[in-house]
Amino acid sequence: MHRREALKNVAFLLGGAISATTMGVLFESFTLPENEKNYVSFTADQEKVLAEFAEIIIPTTKSAPGAKAAGVGKFIPMMVKDCYPAKMQQAFAEGLKEMEAKSLKDFNKEFLLLTVAERTKLVGEIRDETIIKKKADKAAKKNEGYFFVIARDLTILGYFSSEIGCTQARSYVAIPGRYDGAAPLKPGQKSWAT
Amino acid sequence: MNLNTNLKAENTYDAIVIGSGISGGWAAKELTEKGLRVLMLERGMNVEHIKDYPSAMKNPWEFEHRGKLTEAQKATHPVQIRDYPYQEANEKWWVNDLECPYTEDKRFDWYRGFHVGGKSLMWGRQSYRFSDHNFEDNAKDGHGNDWPIRYKDIAPWYDYAERFAGISGSKENWPLCPDGEFLPPMDLNIVEKSVKARIEEHYKKARIMMIGRVANLTVPHKGRGNCQYRNLCSRGCPFGAYFSTQSSTLPAAMATNRLTLRPYSIVNHIIYDKDTKKAKGVMVIDAQTNKTMEFYAKIVFVNGSTLGSTFILLNSTSEAHPNGLGNASGQLGHNLMDHHFRCGASGEAEGFDDKYTYGRRANGIYVPRYRNVGDEKRDYLRGFGYQGGASRSNWQNDVAELAFGADFKDKMTTPGKWTMGLGGFGEMLPYYENKVYIDKTKKDKWGQPVLAIDCEYKENEKKMRIDMMNDAAEMLEASGMKNIKTYDNGCYPGMAIHEMGTARMGKDPKTSVLNEWNQMHEVNNVFVTDGSCMPSIACQNPSLTFMALTARACDYAVKELKKKNI
Repeated sequence: MHRREALKNVAFLLGGAISATTMGVLFESFTLPENEKNYVSFTADQEKVLAEFAEIIIPTTKSAPGAKAAGVGKFIPMMVKDCYPAKMQQAFAEGLKEMEAKSLKDFNKEFLLLTVAERTKLVGEIRDETIIKKKADKAAKKNEGYFFVIARDLTILGYFSSEIGCTQARSYVAIPGRYDGAAPLKPGQKSWAT
Repeated sequence: MNLNTNLKAENTYDAIVIGSGISGGWAAKELTEKGLRVLMLERGMNVEHIKDYPSAMKNPWEFEHRGKLTEAQKATHPVQIRDYPYQEANEKWWVNDLECPYTEDKRFDWYRGFHVGGKSLMWGRQSYRFSDHNFEDNAKDGHGNDWPIRYKDIAPWYDYAERFAGISGSKENWPLCPDGEFLPPMDLNIVEKSVKARIEEHYKKARIMMIGRVANLTVPHKGRGNCQYRNLCSRGCPFGAYFSTQSSTLPAAMATNRLTLRPYSIVNHIIYDKDTKKAKGVMVIDAQTNKTMEFYAKIVFVNGSTLGSTFILLNSTSEAHPNGLGNASGQLGHNLMDHHFRCGASGEAEGFDDKYTYGRRANGIYVPRYRNVGDEKRDYLRGFGYQGGASRSNWQNDVAELAFGADFKDKMTTPGKWTMGLGGFGEMLPYYENKVYIDKTKKDKWGQPVLAIDCEYKENEKKMRIDMMNDAAEMLEASGMKNIKTYDNGCYPGMAIHEMGTARMGKDPKTSVLNEWNQMHEVNNVFVTDGSCMPSIACQNPSLTFMALTARACDYAVKELKKKNI
């Protein structure tokens, strides 16, 4: 297999689940001037908000703990600051504030005080709005970065590369030692983490 | 005066090898084993086997950015980030492009690794022999110059290189991709086995599919461990299970006690002695102190990677060699080639839902060249091969746009569809006008001028890509795949990291730089055995050929040295 398979494997495992924008940012050439690094910063409360957001994206289920337990609340803002160009950092930070504002407006409560049902409804609405906005922007050939898309992408990346994501939600063998290309699939078997 | 004499004696060796990658490592091994005292110069840092592979045993969650690059890394590596190879897990092995700029007259993605081992640490490890078709194509269709050797000249050296390096693969009796001295092959998975059977039946064995021939050990070999199926090769292998300078040639050279390895040694130029008409040695810039120094030897092997070596030769000017060392032909720097790829097809396999894989095979399938063979004449010359494979994804493709929640999580953790992909690797013709030259308007971190690259794919490559895409779809169709999709993601020279040419071998000193022994026509104690020597590039991955040519040239050089012909 050619070296390129290595990247394809990463792309493949996260697959259609991750947006083209994030694939582009993480794997291709986006650069920014030195002075635009760490354009935004996040408060401890916002990390908590992001952890709860991530838990809605990938919740705790019978099979494995969710994104909150996997530490995705801290992972998202770190990645946004280190790995995204300034414009997208800004779009992300604004989107996060808008989500907090929407919570106050729709439920008269801060995001962190919402019930899971309320949060799920709110996140679903933001998702639907994002899909509409993406379609309009695509027609106008714009791609400015969307809070929901970036936050969801980083939740998926952070979760499925975390210890919980690899070893509990999926299966992980550090050193397989052999290859079997026709292994029987056992009932309930989880997919490989890597 | 005494001091100077001592210094000169101290800095004098039997042979100097410039570069420590795949071909440099082989040169060091062969020359030391034949009794020469060798100085191997490497422009970058030292990398010690195992000890300096800090990410090799890390789990995915132990990488801060989970394998992804930061904006800071992207800023200093604007070329290396153009494609996937530069990653968090091996970032220290890719050059800081700002320190080593080059000029792109046309886009050329130049991937470089400056450290002991060079790209032997990060290479793709696919190892295929060239065949007589490949050695004869230039002479037959008139592109480029005739190879000065044929398959029979190199075949025993392929045997020799494979036996030492450890290449796993299957014998297929396919004339365009000769069999070799293989370790047991890796397994095809169940879908690949089905595709192989159906392709070979459909085309009545006019096309075949095999497991990749790869420099990964399937059994322990010469004190090295076998592959553990982690597929993390490019971090460096703590088991020594794939061929690299560190795992293979360097320990062999060190065992002779005749090798001196000097990292951080940038060879600026080869010193030419007009009286003896030979190379006297090399001028080196210490990459850390910027101090210059000279080293001397009876023979010089140039193994600094295709364009690295060509830069050194172009930069080695003197009254006798005003346009670069050994460049009376005017061919030095010309005929730059790279494979073109990034097009093919993929499809979904049905009927294998009760099967899954165990282990991560660091290898895929190979379909060797079948086009323009015998009487067939396509609307382009030469041909291509395919690499690819089948694997099983999750159910993610079935989820709604931007889905989330418990059901989404379940689908992301449940084995889904089997897919099979075929990606073409096509031969590029040698064109004189695809060239590199020295650009004195820019300087690198050490004050050296830089290389300018002017290279593009032409009509032949563009026409070939249509077949590369359509043939892949047709073969997947014949294999019973569903939802077949073709793609051509576009390709620029350099992307395959198989850059070759620019100091070609040939029979005639008027039209080539090197003779049949990789020896410079004009300066007979200089040998160039990396990718720059290639008169054509076939469509196979080339490193095994560099190994064989290097071992062959070393054998010749030492014999000539003993006969006092050099």
